[in-house]
Amino acid sequence: MFSMPLSLFSEQIINGIVLGSMYALVASGLTLIWGTMRMLNFAHGEFYMIGGYVFFLLMSSLGIPSYLSAPLAIAAVFVAGIAVQRLAVHPLLGRPQWEFSTLVATLGVSIFLQNAALHIWGERFKTVPYFISGVVDVFGMRLSYQRLLILAVAIGTMLAMWYVLRRTRFGMALRATAMDRDAAMLYGVNVYQVFMLTFGIAAALAGIAATMLSSINSISPWMGAPLMLKGFVVVVLGGLGSFPGAILGGIIIGIVETLGVIAWSSQWREVISFTVLILILWFRPWGLFGVKEEA
Amino acid sequence: MADQKTTTNQNSLFVIIGVAVVLALVPLVTQEAYLLHICILALLFGALASSWNLINGYAGIFTFGHQAFFGLGAYGSALMSMKLGLSPWVTMWVAGIMSAALGLVISLPVLRIRSIPHIAIVTLAFAEIVRIVCSNLTSLTRGELGLWGIPPYTSFSLPFIGDATFDAAHKVAYFYVVILLWLLVVGATYWILRNRFGFGLRAIRDSQIAAESLGVHLTYYKTLVFGFSSFLAGILGAFYAHYVLILTPSSALGIDIMIQIVAMTLIGGIGRLLGPTIGAFILTFGLEWLRGFGEYRLLIYGVLLVLIVMFLPKGLASMRLGFLRTRAAKKLPT
Repeated sequence: MFSMPLSLFSEQIINGIVLGSMYALVASGLTLIWGTMRMLNFAHGEFYMIGGYVFFLLMSSLGIPSYLSAPLAIAAVFVAGIAVQRLAVHPLLGRPQWEFSTLVATLGVSIFLQNAALHIWGERFKTVPYFISGVVDVFGMRLSYQRLLILAVAIGTMLAMWYVLRRTRFGMALRATAMDRDAAMLYGVNVYQVFMLTFGIAAALAGIAATMLSSINSISPWMGAPLMLKGFVVVVLGGLGSFPGAILGGIIIGIVETLGVIAWSSQWREVISFTVLILILWFRPWGLFGVKEEA
Repeated sequence: MADQKTTTNQNSLFVIIGVAVVLALVPLVTQEAYLLHICILALLFGALASSWNLINGYAGIFTFGHQAFFGLGAYGSALMSMKLGLSPWVTMWVAGIMSAALGLVISLPVLRIRSIPHIAIVTLAFAEIVRIVCSNLTSLTRGELGLWGIPPYTSFSLPFIGDATFDAAHKVAYFYVVILLWLLVVGATYWILRNRFGFGLRAIRDSQIAAESLGVHLTYYKTLVFGFSSFLAGILGAFYAHYVLILTPSSALGIDIMIQIVAMTLIGGIGRLLGPTIGAFILTFGLEWLRGFGEYRLLIYGVLLVLIVMFLPKGLASMRLGFLRTRAAKKLPT
């Protein structure tokens, strides 16, 4: 690792950032749901999986070009997110112990969706081709166009999210709900609609990650679980409910993993990121960007 | 209110003993291997979920990594009996102590955290580390290929009763061992709840600040309950190893075990003495019954989980007296 030429080293850093930007997309969905609804969504990985499969179906089975099928797949995941929220989460909100029961309900949804995918598409791994092939040479670093595209999409999505959250009426309603649900309700915010759209947007963020990553990773019924776990690590690391925390946390985990894999081997990848998480929380229990909570 | 609680507690002692006696009579009626196997699994998971209920239901610390202690007990006891040639009767307790030690280690970062999701994710990350380490140390554990050749419990003979034979074909002796282990876990929970320690735990669950201000030593209580619950999970894992005789990291350390524990506890009734056991019997027998649905089994299972939390939010253990307790429950939710 330390005898590596500088160009290769910086190439790996960029690869880590690309990987981390996708973790950030998945994680920001989780952090959005936590921030507004105070619940953990254990079906988040399955939104990622649905995105991957719909993308695959549109592209490989119907032959729709990738620049059209990607937005369609993301829209499908948005609808799926709203459906899950309405059917499995909404009836539980506000009941006693609902932070716990929503967790189990989303676990149930996750088991259901995984097995539904297994039933419909089988256990064979599926792949989709790259959006664009080829590599570009920047200062001696070899970067593939696909990875650069991923990075661009991630940055674009983050900017769009920032705009939605900070500059639109819906974003204001969302932030008001996150701050104080009852007060937001009193001021005429339809919080249940906000919850629904939050779930849809969070799912769509996972869908974006799915369309971007499915050409690099493969598509299978179990593709979601590891990424969701990584997403949780990232949000807890960055501070639950914090949007910049999710982005920075994602990039940190991405870089740490890419460098860790070179130093040791890929089978220890998760061990490295989970250890980083436990150590950081030991000293900063509220995460990097989170707010220190009383009680 | 306090009186009512104590009587419920005394009643539940009779219920525990009654359940154990009824179960102990089962082999006299039928010795069908399949039925006994399902009963053994249900009791094992009932005991495991009860040991988790101790941390989560009573102390209110929502951990999501209980499978680490179960799996460590399983692998620890299996490897000790294989490599050192010790009797599984000895190694299961050593494995329990190993799990307890690990539980004390992981309780240290958890002590500093109070928010539910943070504790859940930290314990889950920790359990995943244990699982990955176990599947990567192939020279010791054979990884996902599976650790086989684990010795079963050493058979012995009891005066007046006869031989206790432990092998794949004889389930009866295993059945009695798992009943004893279940009694150990549920009995220990019952005993703890009636003690000062148990009142401290429930005080922590209801409000950490209030408990601390009344002199409950949070660190001491939390580490102790963590260590004890991990100890119980380790022993149960060791039983599992010497019962199924083959271990893989995903079967003994996978997140599926934790999902089962959560589902069982929630379906039976969280923070109730017999809740996890009731949930374990319903889920284990239910999943067997769903085998009739073939590949749709897990699809239905997922839907059932959602429906149960929706329509039976307090678990099945609360159903019987639910309508009588609603008034009291409104005033003082337990």
